[in-house]
Amino acid sequence: MTELPWLYAGVTAYALAAVTSMVGVGRLGAMATSPAISDISDSQRNNERLVLSLMAAGVVLLVITLADRWMRIGHGPFVNLFELLISQLFSLGLVYTVAYWRIPVLRTTAVVVLPLMGVLAVWVLALEPSDSVFPPTYHNPWLWAHVGFGKFFLAFCLIGTGLAGVILLRGTAFFSNLFRHLPDNVILDKLAWRFMLLALVFDSLMLTAGGIWAQDAWGRYWAWDALETSSFLNWLLLGGSIHARTTYNVPLRLGAILIISVFVFAFITYFGTPFYSEAAHKGVI
Amino acid sequence: MLLLAVGAALSYDNPVDTSIWVLIVPMLLLAINLVAAIISNPRINRRGGLLVFHIGLLSIVLLAAIGRLTYMEGQVEIISGSELSRDLLSEVRSGPLHNGAFDDVRFVQGPYTVEYRPQMMRGLTHSYVAIPDGQGGWREAVVGDDRPLVLEGYRFYTTFNKGFAPILSWLDEDGQVIETGAVHMPSYPLFDFKQSNNWTPQGGDEIKFWLQLETGLKVEEAWVLDGRRASGTLVVNVAGNRTELLPGQSVKMAGGSLRYERLTTWMGYKLFYDPTLQWLFMAAFITITGLGVHFWRKISAEPLGLNDVPGHKNKHAKGSAATSNSVAV
Repeated sequence: MTELPWLYAGVTAYALAAVTSMVGVGRLGAMATSPAISDISDSQRNNERLVLSLMAAGVVLLVITLADRWMRIGHGPFVNLFELLISQLFSLGLVYTVAYWRIPVLRTTAVVVLPLMGVLAVWVLALEPSDSVFPPTYHNPWLWAHVGFGKFFLAFCLIGTGLAGVILLRGTAFFSNLFRHLPDNVILDKLAWRFMLLALVFDSLMLTAGGIWAQDAWGRYWAWDALETSSFLNWLLLGGSIHARTTYNVPLRLGAILIISVFVFAFITYFGTPFYSEAAHKGVI
Repeated sequence: MLLLAVGAALSYDNPVDTSIWVLIVPMLLLAINLVAAIISNPRINRRGGLLVFHIGLLSIVLLAAIGRLTYMEGQVEIISGSELSRDLLSEVRSGPLHNGAFDDVRFVQGPYTVEYRPQMMRGLTHSYVAIPDGQGGWREAVVGDDRPLVLEGYRFYTTFNKGFAPILSWLDEDGQVIETGAVHMPSYPLFDFKQSNNWTPQGGDEIKFWLQLETGLKVEEAWVLDGRRASGTLVVNVAGNRTELLPGQSVKMAGGSLRYERLTTWMGYKLFYDPTLQWLFMAAFITITGLGVHFWRKISAEPLGLNDVPGHKNKHAKGSAATSNSVAV
């Protein structure tokens, strides 16, 4: 298991990024009483650079982890939960790092997003790092499209959840002070739903690519297996939530709860299926 | 949508006691709702992207319904060297409006190879078939688990279900061949331990067969199943009399004799037919494109106007207005 040291290093980098982001937000909240905006800027900018560097380092270390494992066992991270979780840690980290870098208003969401990724990190460390066998039905380019679109879907859900989490946390006196430098909740809400709309696009792409892969892999494009049923329900929940948000005057907090619900459902779909189904998709063996 | 969610949840793993109507009724209601929304809701029919998205959703619902009315599924087990025929179909399920040209589908099964990794982990299957080339000849095609043979819209996929079949002839007292046929042995290597079957010839007693195979199988090592490199001794048992036959050998019994001609293989295919597949793919593509266009237009037309977070003023901004809109999502 030569990839394990790289995995530990990558997870450590993410953990340090999470702690650093919390320290930064805490410091920003404490300094919010100070009128010297330039002090806040310099301090916060340094903190955010450190968080960004740590997350980028984590992503690179996880790339090495995956590459090392790939070369050792001869196939990509598509089969067992151990390698799927590493792969998700990498892709969620990559998309969030880019978003963190390019969209400054998202940076405070690191205090919500990184602990959520920490759940995956703790989980992967608790798993037996067993090797997997690549099924014959996985030799298909549509698998890459299906998995790739799914990763973007989950990443955009995660970012939306980060914003929704900030909106909900702002309802408490403690976090209200810490997050006072952020734009109004109405703007955060709009931004969060835009990420959820993007998530819907990629969720739809994932289901379509998955159907094409399933048709070639198992001779049917849809069979209501555990993952397919759960994915479809997730798509309905996401579509229904966006529909409700655009049609009715959904209160901000309820909207935030809907976004988090979609993410939780997606999380259960991706990572919970192995607990109630022997094979995520039929034909794995 | 809520009803559809309930229908989907009830359809989990295709339980036999769940009616197809738990999906059809919500989808019918959804289709009616989509039609009404497309016609009457200006927020949909005046926005190109959203309109395409909703029409696309409606198309998917209708195509899925047409697909269920016209589909066909089944299994085929075909012996190497023989041609596909309707008689070989089993476990057939089809929609009430299925009218595919199955009788026009022609191919001849050839040999196949199946790769196995150590511990009997099945890898790629390469099944060679001959199909008419349209000019009076035949051409070869290779079929696999994820590489279907598509003829007349019917898709044939190889499966784990494959094995060996001794070709046997039943001869009368004068040595004339009465009939020749194959005895399908159970799937191999899944049922390596019980390669047995039986057959009752015309006017004869029941014959029990047991096939002792030499395929080079080693559980601990990688291995390729290839019927051309396998050999088999056929153990014939009639009323307690046991005889071992090699290819070309025969045994006399009441009413005639049995000749073991040769050992061959059979391949089990999964059959799938749905004329809406390509249309479904196109509808899904158009639907998602509509959603993407709507999303793109929305973010282009309505910048959020995010206020600057402390410490993140746009370096290049000259005025307050530009600064306040420095982050457009």
